[in-house]
Amino acid sequence: MAAVPIQPVIPREGRRRFGRPSLGKSPLARNEARWGLIFLSPWLFGFVAFTFLPIIASLIFSLTNINLAQDQPLRFVGLENFQRMLADPQTWESLAVTFRFAAFNLPIAIVVPFVVALVLNSRYLRGVGIFRTLFFLPYVIPFVAGILAWQGMLNLETGWVNEFLRLLGVQNPPNWLQDTTLIYPSLAFIGLWGIGAGVIVNLAGLKGIPSELYDAARIDGAGWWAVLRNVTLPMMSPVIFYSLILGIVDVLQYFLVPLVLYNGTGEPGGSTLFFNLVIYKQAFNFQNFSYGATLAWLLFGITLAITLLVFRTSRRWVYYAGER
Amino acid sequence: MHQRLSRPGVLLTAFALLASACGGTTATPSPAAPSQPAESASVAPSPSGPPTVPPGGPVDIRWYCCLGGGEAPEQKTVEDKVVADFNASHPNIHLTFEVVTYDQANGQLTTEIQSGNGPDIVGPVGIGGANAFHGQWLDLKPYIDKTGYDLSGFPSNVVDIYKLDEGQVGIPFAIYPSALFYRKSLFEEAGLAEPPHKYGDMYTLDGQQVEWNYDTARTVAKRLTVDKNNKDASQAGFDPKKIQQWGFEMQRDDLRGMGAYFGPGALASGDGKTVAIPDAWKAAWKYYYTGIWTDHVSMTGPQFESKDINPSDYPFFNGNVAMSENFLWSTYGVGKVDDWDLAAIPSYNGQVTAAFNADTFRILKGSKHPDEAFQVLTYLLGDASGDLLKAYGGFPARTADQAAGITALQSQFKNTVDWQVAVDGIGKADNPNFESYMPAYNESLGLVGSGGKYLTKWGNTAGLDMDAQIQALQTEMQGIWDKAP
Repeated sequence: MAAVPIQPVIPREGRRRFGRPSLGKSPLARNEARWGLIFLSPWLFGFVAFTFLPIIASLIFSLTNINLAQDQPLRFVGLENFQRMLADPQTWESLAVTFRFAAFNLPIAIVVPFVVALVLNSRYLRGVGIFRTLFFLPYVIPFVAGILAWQGMLNLETGWVNEFLRLLGVQNPPNWLQDTTLIYPSLAFIGLWGIGAGVIVNLAGLKGIPSELYDAARIDGAGWWAVLRNVTLPMMSPVIFYSLILGIVDVLQYFLVPLVLYNGTGEPGGSTLFFNLVIYKQAFNFQNFSYGATLAWLLFGITLAITLLVFRTSRRWVYYAGER
Repeated sequence: MHQRLSRPGVLLTAFALLASACGGTTATPSPAAPSQPAESASVAPSPSGPPTVPPGGPVDIRWYCCLGGGEAPEQKTVEDKVVADFNASHPNIHLTFEVVTYDQANGQLTTEIQSGNGPDIVGPVGIGGANAFHGQWLDLKPYIDKTGYDLSGFPSNVVDIYKLDEGQVGIPFAIYPSALFYRKSLFEEAGLAEPPHKYGDMYTLDGQQVEWNYDTARTVAKRLTVDKNNKDASQAGFDPKKIQQWGFEMQRDDLRGMGAYFGPGALASGDGKTVAIPDAWKAAWKYYYTGIWTDHVSMTGPQFESKDINPSDYPFFNGNVAMSENFLWSTYGVGKVDDWDLAAIPSYNGQVTAAFNADTFRILKGSKHPDEAFQVLTYLLGDASGDLLKAYGGFPARTADQAAGITALQSQFKNTVDWQVAVDGIGKADNPNFESYMPAYNESLGLVGSGGKYLTKWGNTAGLDMDAQIQALQTEMQGIWDKAP
């Protein structure tokens, strides 16, 4: 038997002019809704002024030829910037760089905070508060300062990492920040400096898992691995999903570290020419707002597509305890 | 129905945004001709008396800083006082001062100009900093002619630096000739004669009179480069991995500047579209590379970047470098070295070139009140110049003020410095200036400028074929220029 779509039954008098059903709210509810909107209005105003309008403006920019470095008058150029973007080898090279780094860094950015949180959540660990503070502390320090500190620590000549390797007898320790084969591990290493927030989120998730589930699993004879696989991971899947979405957005917008370390040159060997860096350089260094805006829209499209894809897959692996 | 209703709204919004965001842009302003006094809201002081408040109120003029210094709190105090003094004595103009820190200044000025909200006056700004906004500067010639502004007090070669295809875009203010900074005690310790202070003088090396050129400088530098075992770079057994003192540092902020010490030139050939690297620059770059990786007289990139080896901006500031080419503005950091002096820049192929930096204030072409902006400009270059030069640590471009400038500079140091070397360096300034405009200026800087790709790569990588590297640079830059609008 074919399924018959169920239409909502809306009383004729309840339909509004534009087809939107009346909510049928009482004056009191409408009054509450009005006050709700009034209290929301500062945020709404900020959103419209500082997010929505700039988004629209950037779309308009992408269809024009705004560029300080040219003498041509401002004009509508249609999809010219998009055509240029697709034909520009730097677009694809920088996207490749971004995806290569994402493939390397994303698992680390998800797994390490989770593992650290697991350790911090262990009943065998003493001084949890101290460790929690220590892991979170770097997150509070301005990231640029952290990058500069890491630049010093990874210096070929005088960095602590290489000094330590020399103590171990390594005669020619690596040039961490200038070797194309080591650059992504180095950047990922620097990125771990800021895992404090991820650790806290994961720890909060772990604390929220009902202890009855662990008790039941243990009574059933489950060992550490079985508990992790059958209790912890499913119960933590919403947090992992949240971390994954943020991680994807973050890594696609990766920008600050290569800008500080390499002045945005893409060195060594073009391995740090990330896509978001190209956007920044086009718009603000090369004064080509229109092309920069066009690239930004491509990044937005890619981020949106990947995020939607992950959301679609989430039905298969994210478990919400409150769901029916 | 819902869609039909919203579409005009969206179109209206888009149009409004387009109009507001782009309508006023000064991306392509037409050259502003000097306005007639009758059209101007206010005019320069009349010969019959002091300026008065015009009927519509004072004209607003915005001064934008800091594309090249001027943001330090003590500098801002002086700048604020200059603004207050100006406003007190010029009721026809209301001058406001906008400080944006150096790292943000370029991006913000770009945004302000693109959105049609550019300032009137920008500065202090160097030649390179200004070239990042090529095409945006007002030609001052008509205003100089109209007001009879006297340029004869400046060295003519310095005035000419500001004569570009855009017109006379600047009037000299602060100049920074180059010189060779050196430490006397390190020469004495090595048993070497100090480098000559006078251009054209010979150098005494092992009892022989030799030309003070880059080959001689290399020989001297090797003897001044010392490792942990106290062996110098000219001796057998010298360990380049354990250097404690370096003999010679080139000015490594910009490959073009580095090249200019070997000879004046520009990357743009005569047609302005083809990259043509001057031979002298190629020689300079090879000298730099050999100095690091073969002669070991200069720091490698990682050594230069290391805060343990080079905690200050330039290695010479740390006291463990014997000779260093730099601009006069670098006196800000040499205070810790108590036995430094200035000497002549070595020659290359019999010719001496002392790369030259200069800062001034400029007026944007998009200024709505160019007459009043020029009035402010002449005040900054005139009445206020003493205070501002002192605050910025600038050397006066005006010849008559240079003696006072030397006195002010000397007062900062206990050791006596031969400042005449710097004054003589003005006559050796590179022309065309190494920071001259080139197509896709900002993008090209990514290859040759401060922290640029090739400068960094050469400092970090041993064993490169420099001819191939220079060819790669040329090819890559040509690719950028070919795409330039």
